[in-house]
Amino acid sequence: MREKKLHLKNVMKSFGGRKVVDIPELTIGTHGIEGLIGPNGAGKTTLINLITHRLKMDYGQILYYANGNEIDISNKSIDEIARLGMVRTNQVIQDFQSLTIRDSLLLSLAAPAYENFYNIFSERKLRKTVEQEIERYLEYFHFENPDGHALSAGEKKLLDIIRCLALKPQVLLMDEPTCGLPQDLIDLFIDLIKRKTVEEDMTILIVEHDLDLIWGVSENVYFMAEGEILIQGPPDEVRRNETVVEKYMGEGIA
Amino acid sequence: MGQILSGYYVYMLSILVVYIALATILHAQFGLTGIANFGLSAIWGFGMYTSALLIVKLNFPFVPAVILATVLTGAVSMGIGRIILDLDSQSVLVGTLAFLAIIETLVISEKWLTNGVMGIGPVNYPFDIGTYSQFVYFLILLIFTMALMYYARKLESSPPGRLFLSIQDNEPLSQSLGKPTFRRKLFFFAFTSALAGFFGALAAPTYKFLFPKYMGPAITFTLWIALILGARKRIFGGLVGILATIGLFDVILESVVPIPSRYAGILYNSKYFLYGLTLILVLMFRPSGILGEKAKSLNIANTGKIHKMEG
Amino acid sequence: MSFAMFLKSTFVIGLLESAPLMLAAVGFTLIYRLNGFINIGYAENATLGAYLAVTLNAILGWNFYIAIIPAALFSGVLSVLTYLIVFRPAMKRGVGPTEMIILSVGVSFFLRYGISLIWGSRLYNFNLGKTDYLSLFGIGITNTQLICLGLALVVAFGLYAFIYKTKMGETMRALADNEELAMISGINPVKVSVVVWFLSGLAGGLAGVFTGVFTWVNTGLGWHMILVILLVAIIGRVGDVRGALIAGAGVGIITTAVTLVTQPAYGVVTLLVIFIVILKIRKVRA
Repeated sequence: MREKKLHLKNVMKSFGGRKVVDIPELTIGTHGIEGLIGPNGAGKTTLINLITHRLKMDYGQILYYANGNEIDISNKSIDEIARLGMVRTNQVIQDFQSLTIRDSLLLSLAAPAYENFYNIFSERKLRKTVEQEIERYLEYFHFENPDGHALSAGEKKLLDIIRCLALKPQVLLMDEPTCGLPQDLIDLFIDLIKRKTVEEDMTILIVEHDLDLIWGVSENVYFMAEGEILIQGPPDEVRRNETVVEKYMGEGIA
Repeated sequence: MGQILSGYYVYMLSILVVYIALATILHAQFGLTGIANFGLSAIWGFGMYTSALLIVKLNFPFVPAVILATVLTGAVSMGIGRIILDLDSQSVLVGTLAFLAIIETLVISEKWLTNGVMGIGPVNYPFDIGTYSQFVYFLILLIFTMALMYYARKLESSPPGRLFLSIQDNEPLSQSLGKPTFRRKLFFFAFTSALAGFFGALAAPTYKFLFPKYMGPAITFTLWIALILGARKRIFGGLVGILATIGLFDVILESVVPIPSRYAGILYNSKYFLYGLTLILVLMFRPSGILGEKAKSLNIANTGKIHKMEG
Repeated sequence: MSFAMFLKSTFVIGLLESAPLMLAAVGFTLIYRLNGFINIGYAENATLGAYLAVTLNAILGWNFYIAIIPAALFSGVLSVLTYLIVFRPAMKRGVGPTEMIILSVGVSFFLRYGISLIWGSRLYNFNLGKTDYLSLFGIGITNTQLICLGLALVVAFGLYAFIYKTKMGETMRALADNEELAMISGINPVKVSVVVWFLSGLAGGLAGVFTGVFTWVNTGLGWHMILVILLVAIIGRVGDVRGALIAGAGVGIITTAVTLVTQPAYGVVTLLVIFIVILKIRKVRA
C-alpha cells in the first residue's frame, strides 16, 4: 500500500436539480493503478472535471497529498492543480492546432523559467535539455512525422497522453485513454504506465470502457453509477459483484 | 538633398514606420496570443500624451519623458489587463473598446490637463542638426521598429511564443498542463502595450502637435484592418497591411498623385469605405490575410538548418 | 436646482432620451439572441434610417410622420441584405464569434462611409412643422418628442410582445436556442432569420430617426450609439428582450442624472465603467 494522494469529502454536483456526482468519501492513491468504470452518464468524467476544477463543485472538499503535505485544492485553479502534480488526459480529443507534435512536447517540458516574455533566446537551451527525453517518447510510440501535426484521432489521443506523462505528475487521471487507439499502441501504453507507477511513484486513475484492460492493469477498481461510487475493490471481486454485472456488464465487454 | 531628406516624404515615412510598429504589436497581442485588443490606439496615444505633458508642462527632457511615459503606459495596461484578460475573447474586444472610449473621452473633457481638442504641443526633436534632424529621427524610429520586429521574430520560435500560441489555440488545455495562462497573458499584454506607449512617446516629435483623435477608434480600426489584411499570424503581416492601407492611401495617393482639394473629402470617405469593404472581403474569403498562414511546421534542427515540411 | 427638480428632470429627460435607446437595444438583442454575435454594423441601420427619413422629410418635403414609414422599412431591408450577403455566408464558412464582430465592424465602416459618399458630411435636421411646447411634470418638452417617445415605446413593447406572445416569436426563440432541433421540427432557419433581421433593422432605423429628431442627423449618429446599445444589451443580459427594455430605461436615467450634476463626458464615462463592471459580473455568473 502506498501513501494516499487524493481524498474527497462530501463532493456533490448537480445540474438542473439532478445530482450528477455524489461522493461522501473517496481516497485515491493507495494503489498504483486504479480503474474507474461505470455505465455512460454515471458521472465519471464529471468527477474528473471536479477534481481538476474544470467544473466547480456545489459542495465538498478535496485534499491533495504531496511531499508529506496536505493541501486543500477545492478552490485552486486548473493550472495550480496541474502544477501541484495532478494532471488529466481528455476524453474528448483536445489539441493545439498550431503546434506540431514536437512543439507540443516542448511546450509540456518547458519549465516556467523558460517561458517569460523576455526569454526569446532560450529555445536552444530548452531543446538541448529535453531533446533526449522527447526522442525517447517519440521513438517509443513510433511517431512517423514528429515535426508534423497529429493527424488521426489516435495520434492526437496519444499526444494528449504523452504531454501529460512528460510532466511527470504525481497523480494522473486518464479519461478513456485508449479509445481510438490500435491494439499495438495500447500494449505499449500499458507497459509504459506500469513502469511509470513503479519508477516514478505515480498514481494513475483510469476511466475506461475496455474492461479487459481494467481487469488486466488495475490493482483496485471503483464502480460508479448514477453519480455514486457503489463498489470498490480488487478487480476479481468487482467483476464478480452482482450489482456491477447487473448494471453494467450487460452493455460492456465483459 | 535637404529637400528629399526632410519635409513631407520623411514625415509620411516616419508615420508609416510607427504604424508598422503598432501593427506588429497588435500581431503579437492578437495574432500570436489571441488578445483582441481594440484599444491599442488609446494605449499608444496615452504614451504619446503622457510624454508630451511631461515635456510641455513639466519641462522634462526628452529621454526621461519617454521612459516615464512607457512605464506609466505599462502600469495602466497592467490595470486594464488585470480587469479584462480573464474574460472571453468577445468581451476582451468589447471591453478594450470601452477602455478606449473612456480614455479618449477623458482626454477631450479634461481640458485643464490636455487642452481638449485644441491639442498640446509643441514636442520638438530631442536634438537639432538643422535640416537633417527629421531624417535622422526617422532613422531612429526605423531602428526601433526593426528591433521590435526582431523581437517578434525571435519570440515566435521560442518557448514563450509557443506558450502564447497554445493559449490562443486552447487556453484550458494549456492550463491543464500547468501553465499559468492568465499571469503570462497579463505580463505580455502589459509589456507589449508599454511598447506601444513607447512608440507613442517616440512619435510625438514627428506629429509635433498632438490631438485626441490620435487615440480614437479610427486609428484602432485602421490598425486592425491592416493586420487582418496583411496576415494576423505573420510577423510581417502588420507591415504588409500597413503598406497596403496607409502606405497606399495616405502616402502614395495623397502625396504622389495630386488630387484637387475639393476631392479631399471624397478621398477620405472612399478610403474608409474601401477599408470596410476590404475587411469584409478578407474575412470572408481569405481570413488568414495576404501572407496567409505560416508553412505548417518549421523545424530548426540542432544543426541550425531550417527545414520546412509539409509545405 | 432643487432635488425635486433634479429627480423630475432625471426621470423625464432620462426616459425621453432612453426611448430610442430602448428600441435600438431591443433590435440589437434580437440578432444577438438569434445568431449569437455582436453586430456592430447595426449602428448603420440607425444612421441609414435617419438619413432616409430626413431626406424624405427635409429635402423632399414629406410630412415627418409619413417619412418615417419607408425609412424604417428600408432599414429593415438593408438589415436583411447584410444578413444574406455577408453574415450568413460568413457564419456558414465557420467564422468564429470574435471574427464576426470584426467583420461587423467592416460592415459598419462600409455602410457609414458609403452614406458619407452619398450624402456628404453636412448635418441635417428634421423639419417638424409646427411645434407645440408641453410640460411634463414641470419639464418642458415638445409635442414631437412626446410622440416619438410614445412611438418608440409602442414599437419596443410591440416587438417584445411579438417575441414572447406570438407563435412566430416562439419559433424564433426555438431557433435561437437550438438550431438543429428547430430544423427537425420543420422550422426554416433562413426564413425565420430573415424576419428577425428585418425587425431588427426596422427597430434600428426607427431608433435612428428618433435620435436624429432630438439632436441632428450626421454620419456618426449610429456609431455614437453603438457602444451604449451594446452596453444596454449586455446589461439587460444579452438575449433577453425584456432586460434590454429595462436596462435602456435605466441607462438613460443614470446618464441624465450624472450629466445634470457634472458634464456629459462623465455621463459617458460612468456608462462605460458600468459596462466593464457588467462584463465582469456576467463572467462570474456564467
